Amino acid sequence: MNRRRRTLAVVALASCLAGGALAGESPRAIVEKMSRAAVDILGDKSLSSDEKRHRVEDLAYANVDFETMSRLVLARLWSQLSPAQQTEFVKLFREHLALTYGRNIESYNNEKVQVVSDHDEGRGDWTVKTKILRGGGSADVLVDYRLRQENDAWRIIDIVIERVSLVANFRSQFQEIVNSGGPAKLLDVLREKNAKGEPLKS
Amino acid sequence: MVPLLAAVLVLSWAAAVCAAEDVDTERDPLECVNRKIFWFNDKLDVYVLAPVATGWEKVSPRRVRTSVSNFFGNLRFPIVTVNDLLQGKVKDSASDVGRFAVNTTVGVLGFFDPASGWGLVKHDEDFGQTLGVWGVPPGPYLVLPLLGPSDPRDATGFAVDYALSVTPFFIDEAILWGARVGDTVNERSFVLKQVEDAKASAFDYYTFVRNAYLQRRRALVRDLVEGSAEESEELYHPEFDLEEKP
Repeated sequence: MNRRRRTLAVVALASCLAGGALAGESPRAIVEKMSRAAVDILGDKSLSSDEKRHRVEDLAYANVDFETMSRLVLARLWSQLSPAQQTEFVKLFREHLALTYGRNIESYNNEKVQVVSDHDEGRGDWTVKTKILRGGGSADVLVDYRLRQENDAWRIIDIVIERVSLVANFRSQFQEIVNSGGPAKLLDVLREKNAKGEPLKS
Repeated sequence: MVPLLAAVLVLSWAAAVCAAEDVDTERDPLECVNRKIFWFNDKLDVYVLAPVATGWEKVSPRRVRTSVSNFFGNLRFPIVTVNDLLQGKVKDSASDVGRFAVNTTVGVLGFFDPASGWGLVKHDEDFGQTLGVWGVPPGPYLVLPLLGPSDPRDATGFAVDYALSVTPFFIDEAILWGARVGDTVNERSFVLKQVEDAKASAFDYYTFVRNAYLQRRRALVRDLVEGSAEESEELYHPEFDLEEKP
């Protein structure tokens, strides 16, 4: 028991040190590290699906700026939400993404991720282009990450899959809901949708 | 010409049901008609195409389906190459000629794709994109019966590409239709789970597909010119950014 606790302490310390080294890391290095970690988790046969889901979620929470993402998704509509609604929206939207992408965990089939290139987008944004390798050619899936720097750390604010931006796509869907029923309807719809998906197991 | 007849029937039905026009959102003034056709296409997919594709996926290993996909992709060579040239992408067109030569011979009639391994990357070009590169505006979003999301520019492009793909080969019409159906079923078999997921996660599947289509086509046309600064500004720095975070 004692020994185990000591091990835990060492691991915690090591991850603190690793966390310290994170500051100032380039967007490309962050995406590379994140992709490698994701592939390691998904390919780990000793983990159950639930454990994988949790670890991937933690990885996403550490690297994605869900608040900025939520603001971008709602754009002008953001200010129509009260502060309490805004907080709830961020939480519900994050949950929705976790449910959506969580569905894919079981279909992982040893795909590897290759970071292709990265470039400055100006105004504090950076894009890192990656490819999920599935046999080459059109079978590969193009995934671009857009990162924004805040307090010396780069975090993901949009994911562009096969040239389709997640932020833009949700924006157009949410626009219609808010237009027809206001912010309250949007939160209702999100809540309902999340309840219908698999419940988040803890 | 059963498909053509079906298409005309669906179109006239949708037009009859939709008298009034909706508000213009996202380049979609014909939303009401489009939604009806979309609904029809989706039913056709759910009850015919997806089940057949699922069956095909069950009986054939991925390697076989990839080979089938390679084979049909290789036959698109005249379309891709001509459109490379029409867009001034001379290098790409040379590489696509090389791909066709390599894959048709070493790749056994196109069933294998050794060219990709040799650095001859596959390009995705069509006449709709060419028109876009030439500055032709896309026009309103359209959902075509059987063919799915489109717009006048891409529909024109499709017709031109179609002519381009058929005329060089003097093959029986029935065989061509059979091949087209086979190609469609095979391609559908690669995205069974993706479509299911998209439907489950979308708040409005119609809007989801429309937005994805418009984004993707815009990006494909713009692979020559880098993305418009205005659009990216609108997406990533809408006006609230100037305000303080709460």
